[in-house]
Parts: sequence; structure tokens; C-alpha cells
Amino acid sequence: MRAGVVTLAMPLLTACGEQPPQTQIAGADAERGREVIQAYGCIACHTVPGIPGPASNVGPPLAAFAKRAYIGGVLPNTPDDLVRWLRNPPAVDSRTAMPNVGLSEADARDVAAYLYTLH
Amino acid sequence: MRDGLGKIAMVLAGVAVAGAGAGAAFVYAGIYNIAASEQHTAPVYWLLDYAMRRSVKSRAAAIEVPELQDAQRIRAGAVHYQTHCLQCHGAPGVAPEPEAIGMTPAPVNLVSTAREWPASEIYWVVRHGIKMSGMPAWNYKLSEKELWDVVAFIKALPALSPAEYAALDKSTSGSAARRTVGARAEAADSAETMSGDVEAGKRALDQYLCATCHRIPGVVGANRHVGPPLNGIATRGYIAGVLSNTPENMVRWIRYPQQVDPLSAMPNLGVSEQDARDIAAYLSTLDE
Repeated sequence: MRAGVVTLAMPLLTACGEQPPQTQIAGADAERGREVIQAYGCIACHTVPGIPGPASNVGPPLAAFAKRAYIGGVLPNTPDDLVRWLRNPPAVDSRTAMPNVGLSEADARDVAAYLYTLH
Repeated sequence: MRDGLGKIAMVLAGVAVAGAGAGAAFVYAGIYNIAASEQHTAPVYWLLDYAMRRSVKSRAAAIEVPELQDAQRIRAGAVHYQTHCLQCHGAPGVAPEPEAIGMTPAPVNLVSTAREWPASEIYWVVRHGIKMSGMPAWNYKLSEKELWDVVAFIKALPALSPAEYAALDKSTSGSAARRTVGARAEAADSAETMSGDVEAGKRALDQYLCATCHRIPGVVGANRHVGPPLNGIATRGYIAGVLSNTPENMVRWIRYPQQVDPLSAMPNLGVSEQDARDIAAYLSTLDE
């Protein structure tokens, strides 16, 4: 009986814990990233899980962002590309409505770390 | 007497629960081999094939078959056959392409189909495809006339020797049909206003593979995260972050994403004007 319960629980136990390697950002702080998101007013356009405030629908929702294959529909969703996008979206895609809000490299890395907690 | 019935009911309920449990365990443990490299067991194969025939038969019963024994119609069908069907089904004396090797269920030799199936049922399968097989639905890619042209050609196949097919192939190659999706709406891009049909849009979202990249409420199997989720797309400020969200812009984006933004990963799927309007109509119902 106990063995049966453990066997059923195994998938749950292994699902939590380590993040897949492609979303790890060395030295970044996801909790600080959350504060940066609030400070820079990202929720003016995006609905972000874990950030309180009225849900905005100008840009796409960021729920499950860690699973998203593309950033802004134009860049592969890797840590380096995400930081690049966050720091200067129009430099990546001149047509985007997402503005350059002047994030520093450290801020962008923290924000990226937070976004990668969204499964 | 009542006590006996009560006991029987309990036993039956117990058997049902045990059966459901055994079935769940069978599925969870992955016991049935779904490899395409190995055949089904004979009883499973018979069941799937029989169920397919019965399903097609019941749905094709009411279909009216037009005149098919027309040389021009058969020739037009041959062109479409060479572009769309030959790769998997082969032709008299012609092997299918390597992709068809290793498909389960195997794409049938259509000469045997032509001899055994009524035209109405062949039409139904060409139009709607078959779930869980490699046979796609052609109703988004071929117009009504073209579908029947293909059926006419298939029905003519049994009478063609390999040499006759080769001659036909030679005389029609060079007029290979355009491999485009969205040919269904023959009145495509006409000037009259075509309003969008929400139900048709929901089906189109599935058939045009939108569901393979986007989460779309109401579309079964649409739960991937390649592109952004379409929940709330009706009230979203921007389409793909680059176009303001109006009905006209939505149609434009769906039809020509790279014209709007050359950097976009969203491909041009050859969506017709009518299908794009239908899809936009469905998307306009997704307001949360």
C-alpha cells in the first residue's frame, strides 16, 4: 500500500525542485526581480502572476512565461535573449509597442529570473 | 430475494470499479505499444478499422455524388492527385515517397479503395481526413469542385495500367497544382464584405495548426506555449505587440505575419480571407 502511494507520488516529487538548465541565470534574484517589475510598472501592460494590481491586457499575459518558446514572438526564449529584450525591446524589433524603460543589466537579470519562475 | 439482488448489485459495482481501475492502470503503465514500427494486435486493428468504416458510412450516406465520369474532371483530378496524394498513396506502378514507409496505419493503395468503396465515402475521407492516421482533411486546401475531381480520378484508377498512368503523368506534369492552403474559398479576396462565422473560425484555428503554438480557450489540444496565449485576445491592446487590435488588423496579421513584422516566428500558413475573418470572429469572443 505504502509502496503504491510512493509510486503514485513520484512524478509529483520529481516535478518540483531544480529548474531546467535553460532558465537558470547565475547570480540573479527572482524575489528582487519581482520588486523591479512592480517598480517599473510592467503591469501597466502585462498581467503578471504574483504581482498585485489590476490585470492589464495591452500586451500578452506573462503566465507560464517559463514555458514560452519565443520572446515577443521574435527571439528564442533563452536567458541571454530575455535580458536583451528587457533592456531594449525596440532595438530588437523596431515595430514593437513595448518601450525601453531603462532597465540596468542587473535589474533585467533579476526580472528574467522572476519570469522564469512562472510555469 | 431482495437480499440476493442487493448482493448481485454490489458484486457488479465491485467488478465495474475493478475494471475501471485495471483499465486506468493499463493506460498509466503504458502497456499498449503505440509504436508505428509495429503492427496493432489483430483484434485492435479489426476494431479500429471497422469503427472507421462504420463512422464514414453513416456520415457519407446522405452525400449526393455528381457526375464523375468526365474526362476533363478526371484529368483535373490527376493533377491534384500528383501534387497532394502521390507522396503517400503512390499510383499504378509508382511507389509512394519514403515518408510513407513506416506509417501506421499504412496509406492504402487507392486502386483497391476505388474498387471497394462508393464515391460518396471516398469523398468524405478526402474532405474530412481520418483522426489518428496520417490522412489529413483536405477541405481547407481543396475547393468542393477540386475534391470531386480527385474522387473522379481515384474512381478512374482501377482502369489505368501502369503504362497508361505513366503516360497520363507525363502529359499533366508541368501543370502541377499550387500547393497552397486556403484554396477552399474560391471567392477569396472578393470585394464584398464577408462576415466571420465564429464556429467556422474555431474549426479553422484547429485545422490551420494555430493550436500547435497557442493556448486557445475552447479549442481542444490547444495548450502549447510556443506563442503567447490567446486568452483575452479580444480585449488585448496590441496584436503581437506591433499592431493595434482592430478586426482588419487581426485579419492582416493572421494572413501575412511577416509582412507586418519580418522578425516574427509566426509563419504564413496561407490562410484565406474568409478563413481569416472566421478566425478573427472566434478570437473576438475570447475576452478573458
